[in-house]
Amino acid sequence: MKKKSIGQFLSGSREASLVIVLIVLLIVVGVINPSFLSFTNIRQIFLNNTLTFLMALGMLCVMLTAGIDISITSTLAFAGMSIGLLQKYNVVHNTFLLFVIGAAIGIFCGFLNGIIIAKGHVAPIICTMGFMYIWRGMAYVISNNNWASGMDVAGFSDFGKDGAPGPYIILVIAYVVFFVMMKWTRFGRKIYAVGSNTEAARVSGINVDRTLASVYTIMGFLAGVAGVLSVSIYASAQPNMQYGKEMDVIAACVIGGVAMSGGRGSVAGTFLGALIIGIISKALPMVNIPNFWQNLIKGVIILAVVILNVVTQRTMEKQNLLRREM
Amino acid sequence: MAGRSGREISAVQKGSIRSKILSWEGALVLILVAVNILGVAISPNYNVENVLREMPRYLAEIFMMFGMGYILVLGDIDISVGALVCLAGTVAVLSSNAGLPFGVAVIICLGVGLLGGMLNGFIATRFTELPTMIVTLGTQIIFRGIAEVLFETWGNGGGTASMTDTKGLMLLATKIGPFPIAFFCVLIVGIIMIVVLAKTTFGRKLYAIGSNKTAAYYAGVKVEKIRFICYSVLGLLAGLCALFLLTATFGSNTTTGQGFEMEVIAMCVFGGIATTGGKGNLIGGFIAAFIIVCLRIALGQRNINTQVILVIIGLMLIISVLVPAISSAISIRKKRAKA
Amino acid sequence: MKKKLLSVILATAVAASLLAGCGSSAADTAAPAADAAAPAADAAAPADSSGGGKTYALVTKSAGNPFMERMASGFQEVVEAQGGTVVIQNPEAATPDAQISVIQSLISQGVDSIAVDGNDANALTAVLTEASGKGIKILTLDSDVAPDTRTVYCNQAGVSQIGETLMEAVYDLTGGEGDWAILSATSQATNQNAWIDAMKKLMESDSKYAKLNLVEVAYGDDEPQKSTDQTQALLQNYPDLKVICAPTTVGIAAAAKVLQDQKSSVKLTGLGLPSEMAEYIGEDDAHSCPYMYLWNPIDLGRLAGYTSIALVDGSITGAAGDSFKAGDLGDYTIEEIDGSTQIILGPPFKFDPSNIDEWKTVY
Repeated sequence: MKKKSIGQFLSGSREASLVIVLIVLLIVVGVINPSFLSFTNIRQIFLNNTLTFLMALGMLCVMLTAGIDISITSTLAFAGMSIGLLQKYNVVHNTFLLFVIGAAIGIFCGFLNGIIIAKGHVAPIICTMGFMYIWRGMAYVISNNNWASGMDVAGFSDFGKDGAPGPYIILVIAYVVFFVMMKWTRFGRKIYAVGSNTEAARVSGINVDRTLASVYTIMGFLAGVAGVLSVSIYASAQPNMQYGKEMDVIAACVIGGVAMSGGRGSVAGTFLGALIIGIISKALPMVNIPNFWQNLIKGVIILAVVILNVVTQRTMEKQNLLRREM
Repeated sequence: MAGRSGREISAVQKGSIRSKILSWEGALVLILVAVNILGVAISPNYNVENVLREMPRYLAEIFMMFGMGYILVLGDIDISVGALVCLAGTVAVLSSNAGLPFGVAVIICLGVGLLGGMLNGFIATRFTELPTMIVTLGTQIIFRGIAEVLFETWGNGGGTASMTDTKGLMLLATKIGPFPIAFFCVLIVGIIMIVVLAKTTFGRKLYAIGSNKTAAYYAGVKVEKIRFICYSVLGLLAGLCALFLLTATFGSNTTTGQGFEMEVIAMCVFGGIATTGGKGNLIGGFIAAFIIVCLRIALGQRNINTQVILVIIGLMLIISVLVPAISSAISIRKKRAKA
Repeated sequence: MKKKLLSVILATAVAASLLAGCGSSAADTAAPAADAAAPAADAAAPADSSGGGKTYALVTKSAGNPFMERMASGFQEVVEAQGGTVVIQNPEAATPDAQISVIQSLISQGVDSIAVDGNDANALTAVLTEASGKGIKILTLDSDVAPDTRTVYCNQAGVSQIGETLMEAVYDLTGGEGDWAILSATSQATNQNAWIDAMKKLMESDSKYAKLNLVEVAYGDDEPQKSTDQTQALLQNYPDLKVICAPTTVGIAAAAKVLQDQKSSVKLTGLGLPSEMAEYIGEDDAHSCPYMYLWNPIDLGRLAGYTSIALVDGSITGAAGDSFKAGDLGDYTIEEIDGSTQIILGPPFKFDPSNIDEWKTVY
């Protein structure tokens, strides 16, 4: 292979530019606070953002079909609250069973989204906005103003304890499965096809409706699992849990190069995007920035990274279409 | 134009009165009447005086509904407005407390809103590849972030500030008869925005862009300029919203305006404006806004669990967008039965 | 275009529906007004337990919070025992905006008193002034609002008292010297800010605490995830940290879990719900929180219930020096503290390994 210039390498692939952003972030934070690069800390980045990492995979699929799902954290709260209460009232205490129940609730919520979007031809943002209100409200209603807390979920919370392998194993499995699915299975290609050109996909014999419905069901499944994990990691189920965090998940995907118009995005990019979001939230309290500046800086970084994405993309296209430029 | 993903709001005249009543706006009017009858039926306190008294806090949101309608017709979205309300309100409060006269604080409030909208517009038009949802997600965090910094550096700290000189706000909160001033302002702004969208070439261009941006561009529509204007207008209206919200709260804090963006989008969508762009009109949104407000007031007076109210609104939203799909399914079945 | 016709339909519909609203309840419109005038007459005639026939409202901070739930249950128990009607309203979010809607609705319903747990010290001024103007008695509990917009504040414990108690706990756990940090709720939380200020003042004024070094006040926004991030950051940024004080129920639980999972030597204290914290309270190194404090939310709700009844029947007016009997809670006198009228429930209650098992099932 020929040697590429730095500019070419940078713009050669979206992931490469993300890796560079990541390295710059790590160096800056690492210089200010060397303990950031400790093993414990890096482990905690993954643990504290397990939910973002996990749901970003589902969001990737949804966004590949040019959709969006803003009901995920409500689904998460509904599933999490349900399994929290099941433990509080001593109905179920088996960790595996709780995961199955949470996932089932998530699948149900996701399937409703999917069926309405696919069969009812409703704009995804609207359908999921409706369910965002509904599932969040339901989480409050079933909670009846109670939390399931440390004592209620004792035992179960060991699964997501800091240092326990559970959440990492789930993450690794999820990413491997999705990587394989998106790259080498027929279903994965169908998702890309539907997102790139729905009509073409339909004509070429893909069952678009079924693909759409399954994508939202997968998203719901992951949100349900995330709900169970959330209860386990924070040893607490509250109806307002993860409120507003769907935007973090969407931001992670977009930073990772997933196009909201559909058809473009990768599991690797999603991973890097989620990692950047995770690093930002973990690093901000550690670099001695006054508390009230943290949100401002978070917003600026997110915006800067996505704009950088666009600039990279433009240089990339310029290089590719140097002669054919319009 | 009525594609498979939206309800049919045709630009073609369709004479018969029946079709008008059967149109989405007709249905909305009926729903509005029904909601009011429901209100009267379930709550002894549901009357003009009380409804108008409870309304101002919601009226503030309706200002933004008009601007959001424009943005949605363009096929864009803006989720930063709630945070922008917070920022505009905060700056207004702090500048008034710093000794500036109320009039100046009002101008600053609107100005900050306008500037915020222009920032959104600038980024959205300079980097057209970026989905506007992400642009405004970024600015959402930034606007609220700036407000937090302001509270800490210029305010008394603690993420909350209240206006010490409330005379001006009192004046804005006065009522003409039972009607609060905000009500008339909403009407005036509403009529202007409705007419501009429905009757002017500018409005037509919005639909053109929303239906097919590329086609509009080649037809000579200055797409980016118009998008920039729409974002600025929405920003200005966010400033107006902040101003009238201040008349209810006399101050602002870090949670001000939280979730407004979604409520405003819900009003638009319930009113028949498709988020995919190019469809719907503001009259629908206007009626829908009052439906949601009246429903909230009515159920609130029955002390229905506030979360249940949210569930009901969510259900209404989904059912309303499902109506065209259901009705077309029925008509297809009818046709098949005939054949 | 159809719009013309539409606007006609719209106009008539709005007019018709509003008229309908007006017509059918014209008789009712007079009722709240009459009610508003009534308390003046009532005030003249003191009754023994005249909860009957009146409506007492409680507005909590937000839905989905067990502390608020217990407070509401205490309030409800007292008022219903006296024969009054109770309206409990949990706003949809923990914001003053949401509380304004709820209070406006209560004004429409013509309730006799509203007890508010304020989400913001000043934002409720306008709506509460309006309510008072309609003759509704306003009191606050748990978290106060601007003093001139309410009659009296049922305070769970004096601000300086809480500050002293927490400072003393920090002093005890650090052994009198070393680094400590605070993990608070949001930056605009009225109560937390007042307590933190009280602690800071105490550190400056009392030489006993001279060797204590407050390294940082972190805000976890009452979100488990952010509280976790902030706690971990505190541990990493300040290796010599000895104690974290978290005067917020969500923060303390999140911090307790972080410390316990990491088997950290840093100790925790603050204000927390026993049911949330039972897992983490213990003297040995396996537990992160040796002891913590809180008041009884049920009793706070009951106190607010008795106060509401006393205010509405006119046996107290909310002026300093007024005293009344709050059932089995005992006698209470309204005091003037920091220029505002308050009723203090009592000192904060200490939860330690000896009594946590008894309380964890209560609240």
